Amino acid sequence: MHASLRRVYWWLIAPAVLLMLVFYIYPLIQVLWISVTDPVPGFGNYSELIDRSLIHRIWMTTVRVCVITTAITVVCGYIVAYAMAQVGERQRTWMMFCVLLTFWLSVLIRAFAWVMLLRTQGLINTGLQELGIIDQPLQLVRNEFGVIVGMVHFMLPLAVLPIYSNMTGIQDRLVSAARGLGASPWVAFKDVYLPLSKPGLISATILVFVFSLGFFITPALLGGGKVVMISEYIQVSFEETLRWGQATMLASTLLFSVFLSLALVARFVDLKKVFGAR
Amino acid sequence: MTLTKTLYEKDLYPEIEDAGDSDFARDCVEIAAQRLEKGQIDRRTFLQAMAILGAGTSVMTLGGGSAKAAGEIVIVNWGGPAVEAYQKAFGDPFEKSNGTKVVIDGTGPLGSKIKAMVDAGAVTWDVCDTGTGTTLVLQKQGVLQPIDYSVVDKSKMQQQFAYEYGCANYMFSFALTYNKKSVPSEPTGWKDFWDLEKFPGNRTLRKQPNGMLEACMMAAGRSPKEVYPIDIDLAVSKLKEIKDYVIAWGSGSQSQELFRTGEVVMGNIWHTRANLLNQETNGDVTWTWKDGIVTAGMWNVPKNNPAGTETAMKFIASAQDPEQQLVLFNAMGNGPANPAAANMVPADKKYIDPGQPENLAVQVLQNGPWYEEDSGVRNLTNDELSREKWLDALSS
Repeated sequence: MHASLRRVYWWLIAPAVLLMLVFYIYPLIQVLWISVTDPVPGFGNYSELIDRSLIHRIWMTTVRVCVITTAITVVCGYIVAYAMAQVGERQRTWMMFCVLLTFWLSVLIRAFAWVMLLRTQGLINTGLQELGIIDQPLQLVRNEFGVIVGMVHFMLPLAVLPIYSNMTGIQDRLVSAARGLGASPWVAFKDVYLPLSKPGLISATILVFVFSLGFFITPALLGGGKVVMISEYIQVSFEETLRWGQATMLASTLLFSVFLSLALVARFVDLKKVFGAR
Repeated sequence: MTLTKTLYEKDLYPEIEDAGDSDFARDCVEIAAQRLEKGQIDRRTFLQAMAILGAGTSVMTLGGGSAKAAGEIVIVNWGGPAVEAYQKAFGDPFEKSNGTKVVIDGTGPLGSKIKAMVDAGAVTWDVCDTGTGTTLVLQKQGVLQPIDYSVVDKSKMQQQFAYEYGCANYMFSFALTYNKKSVPSEPTGWKDFWDLEKFPGNRTLRKQPNGMLEACMMAAGRSPKEVYPIDIDLAVSKLKEIKDYVIAWGSGSQSQELFRTGEVVMGNIWHTRANLLNQETNGDVTWTWKDGIVTAGMWNVPKNNPAGTETAMKFIASAQDPEQQLVLFNAMGNGPANPAAANMVPADKKYIDPGQPENLAVQVLQNGPWYEEDSGVRNLTNDELSREKWLDALSS
C-alpha cells in the first residue's frame, strides 16, 4: 500500500477514533481514576479484593457461574451448529429462525418465563409430580441452578452463530476423504472436522465467557437474591451504599479480568484469526 | 393508561430501578396507579394523593444548573402518578399559603443522583422524598442539610423519625405477611416465621437488612422493647438458620409476585404490598401488625438547594398538616406521619394504617440512629456493616 493511500485511510477512521476517545476512553479513565481516589487517594479499594471475604465470595460465584455456563453453552451450541451445518436448506432456515427467535426476546421476558416453568408449582414440578417421579417439588429456581439455566438459554445464540459461521467454511469433502482413507466416523470427526472448527469454538467460548462475566438481570431475578454476581454488587455499591470507589474498583477489575482472559487465550491461539481479522 | 404502562416497565426492571429505601416511595406511586386503573380510587383522590407525595402538575425534567424562576421550589419524588398527587396534597396548599410555586419533579431522588448533584455543585432539587436508609447513607456522605426543627415541628411526627438530616413524610411497616391457605395456623410473630417444622415452605426476606435485622432479633428471643441495640452477628446467624428457604425480594412488586406465584408462604414485606395481596386474594394472603417494624418515608434537603434552606423547611412544615397527609393515605395506604391524623382515618380503613394507636402498640418503631452508629469495625456504621454481613450470609 502506498504511504499516501494509508494517510487517506487514517483520515477516514479519524472521526470514529475521536468519538471513541471522547465517549469511551475518557469516561473509562475517569472510572479508573475514581477507583484510586475515592474515598481517599491510594489503592485502598483494591486492597478489598484481598481483605474482604464478601468480595471473594462474589468473585468466586461469578467465575463459577460463568465457567459452568460457558461450558454448557458451548457444548450445546456446537451440537446445534453442527446439526445446522449438516441438514438440508429448508430445515436449516427453520433452525436458524428458531435460534434467532430466542435471541430477539427480551432478557427479562426470558427470565420470567423460566421462573414460571421452574417454580415449585410450575409446569416442570407439577409434571414430574403427576408422573410420580418425585414426591416433593424440586427447588429449580431462585438458586444457582436457575441462574445457570437462564444464562445458558440467553447465551446459546451467541455460541451457535460463530460456530455455525465457521462450520459453513469447512469443506465436507475433507471428512469424506478421511472416511475414504479408512477413518471411522468418530476418527474422521475428531481428527479432521473438530480441528477445523476450532476457531469457531474458541471465539464462541470467549464471547460467551466475557458476556457472562458482566451479566446482571438473569442472576438478579433467577438467583432469588442468593446468587450475587459482580454486576449486582457494583449496582449496590453505586446506588445504595454510595461507595463509588468500591464500585469503580470492581468495574475496573471486571474489565481487567476480561483483558487478562483474552491475553491468556492469545498465548494458545491466534486471536486475529479467531475474530476474522486475518 | 400510558402512565401505568410506564410504571409496569419499571416493575420489570426491579433490580435496575432499585434504590434502597426510597424504593418505598416509588412503590406507593405504583400502587396508587394500579388502584386507579382498577377503579378502586377515583381520579380526584389519586391526583390529591400524588400532590401530597410531592408530585406536581407538571413533571419537569430539569437540566443541571438551569436558571430557576424566583420563588420556586422543586420537590422530587418517584414520578408517574405521584407527580400529580404530591402537587394536589402538598404543592397546592403550599403555593396558596406561601406564594412559592411548587414544581414536582418525578425523576426519582436516587441517593447516587443527589450525591452527584451536590458534588458537582449543580443542585436542582430542594426537597427529596427518600427513605431512612438513603437518609443515613447520604448523611455520612455529607451532602444533606440538617432539618431545622425550629420550623419543622417535631411534635407532629413520631420522635424516632425526627432525624438530624431527615424527617418523616409518612409511615409504613415491615409486616409478617402469610398465605392462610399455605400455613397450618396463623403465625403469631417472628418465632413462628423461623419455625420451619411448624410452618414448612419458602419465605421471603429483603435483600437489604434494614427492617429485617429487627425481625431476626425478635426471632432470637428479644422482646420488641429489647430489639436495640441490634447484635448484628446474632441477627445474621438467624438468617443463616433459614437461608435455604429464603427467597430475597428487591422491590415491592417482587415481594408481591412471590406470593402470587405461590413461591413463598410467608414473608417480611411492606404492609402496603400485603394489603394489595389481601385484596386480590380475597383475604387468603394477610398480615399481622404483631411485631411489625414501623419506619418512615423521609424528607431530605440537599446542600445548596436552589430555593434556599428556609423555603425548603417551610415546605416540609407545611406538609405536616394531617389533612394533607390523609389524602396520601387514601390513595396509597401509607400511614400519615402526623399522629394527629390517626383519628381522622375512616373507621373502615384503620386496619391498614400502621399509625393507629392499637397497631402501633404491638409494633416496634425503627431506631434509625442505631444504624448511624459506628460499628467498631473498619470505620463502618452499623448500617454499612450489616449490609455487608447480610449480603454475605444471603449469598453464601
